[in-house]
Amino acid sequence: MTAPPDDCLARNEWICGEYLSTRRDILLDAVGQHLQLTAFSVLIGLALAVPLAVLARRWGWAAGPVLALTTVLYTIPSLAMFSLLLPAYGLSAALVVAGLVLYSLTLLVRNILAGLRAVPEETRQAARGMGYGPIRLLLTVELPLALPAAMAGLRIATVSAVSLATVGAIVGFGGLGNLIYSGMNTFFKAQVLTASVLCVLIAVVADLLLLGVQWLITPWTRAARA
Amino acid sequence: MRRRAALAGLLLLTGCASGPSLETQGEVTEAPGDSKHLTIGSAGFTESDLLATMYALLLKEAGYKTSMLTVANRELYEPALESGQIDVVAEYAATFADWLNAKTNGADAPAVGSPDLTATMTALRKLATPRGLTVLDPGRAVDQNAFAVTRAYARQHGLKTLSDLGRSGLEVRLAAGDECVQRPYCEPGLRKTYGIDITGVDPKGVGTTQAKRAVQNGQDQMVLTTTTDATLDEFGLVLLADDKHLQNADYIVPVVNRSRAGSEGATGALDRLNDVLTTADLASMNEQVDSWRRLPEDVARTYLEDKGLLK
Repeated sequence: MTAPPDDCLARNEWICGEYLSTRRDILLDAVGQHLQLTAFSVLIGLALAVPLAVLARRWGWAAGPVLALTTVLYTIPSLAMFSLLLPAYGLSAALVVAGLVLYSLTLLVRNILAGLRAVPEETRQAARGMGYGPIRLLLTVELPLALPAAMAGLRIATVSAVSLATVGAIVGFGGLGNLIYSGMNTFFKAQVLTASVLCVLIAVVADLLLLGVQWLITPWTRAARA
Repeated sequence: MRRRAALAGLLLLTGCASGPSLETQGEVTEAPGDSKHLTIGSAGFTESDLLATMYALLLKEAGYKTSMLTVANRELYEPALESGQIDVVAEYAATFADWLNAKTNGADAPAVGSPDLTATMTALRKLATPRGLTVLDPGRAVDQNAFAVTRAYARQHGLKTLSDLGRSGLEVRLAAGDECVQRPYCEPGLRKTYGIDITGVDPKGVGTTQAKRAVQNGQDQMVLTTTTDATLDEFGLVLLADDKHLQNADYIVPVVNRSRAGSEGATGALDRLNDVLTTADLASMNEQVDSWRRLPEDVARTYLEDKGLLK
């Protein structure tokens, strides 16, 4: 048997340039997959959460069951979740996205609902007095006023989706999680650290981007403060 | 490629399912299929990655398009193998036979995997065939449980085999997984078959770094690991031979989905590895990936090229 090569990979150092140069394509692919998983799941989650929150707001009796259901979904362990969804989606990225969507619902629905509930009754009555119908009231008064709370929920949901996406590694679609998972098995320090740092970076950047979006779409909050 | 397609398909929120339907799964009269694009599954640990990569390279050499999918749990990848989402997986004969047996006949069914390779293979094929799976012939490589002691300890007491250890009458504390106290290949077998005086099982896991350290520093005397473990030298450990064949015949066998990869072309390509790959080769490749942190792809390709299996 030949002697082990003498580089930072063989020495198992935490920070290793050799790791970055030999695994560049693997890292880029993993980041790309991670971004896709997160973006798809948050967008689909949002598309489901908005109508659910509006329904729960419109009919008070629906709020309890909707919140209860989304919270119960949140408590299902990820391995069980993927096993339950497996027959429907097969081993695919869709399986992971479906799981992440279900996990994001409780955060999104709760925050959007809180935003809608926080719209002052006087504001709603004033709009009705000006002849606003229910749809126009919802779209031009209630949803915009709910934005700050909804965006807070979206930011939490996005950051948690970035970290939860890593559990997709158990079905081979976990983005950076694939690398963290295999690195943990063999105590591969450079791989675990690099993939984890990239994961944190994605979360921070996504959060800042959403903060920027919120700043852009809620100009009135700045006017009030200024 | 497959991943991107899956992501695109997700917009439609449809699951994809190919391969035989439930009604035809039991049939074996149909001619084996020969899909030109094959997905090779890996169970996510180093040895499985290496075997999957070698299978992929050999199939590519034989003119197939291949992709790899890593699925950590047998509970998840075995159904995918039946449905044809995964076409080829490297399995361990006795372990897989017992797993299929538990799935088919319930968790309490008597074990079918045994130290006897022929009996194990017969049982395995009987369980796999009705599920649309073809188990190819085992090669020379075997990843069995194995027991190691320190070199100094072996020399001091003149130990080469587990029988030697039984005859020595030494008290042995064993570093192993916590299930060792129940498994016939572990504590009960060591007592009954070899007459070894096990004073306790230290639950540090199978072949983990902690378990090996515990033996190295004398806290425990023996460690449960596997025959393809190439890090034993680092810890100054040597394997004791299983001279009474306590361990199950966990030979490495390729398992394929018959309707997609059961043809002569695919199985012939996979069989080429059998005549070449030995347990020591596999251990050496494991070491290059686990201890030297080389890429499994590079290690597998270099090995196959060295053996003349790839041009």
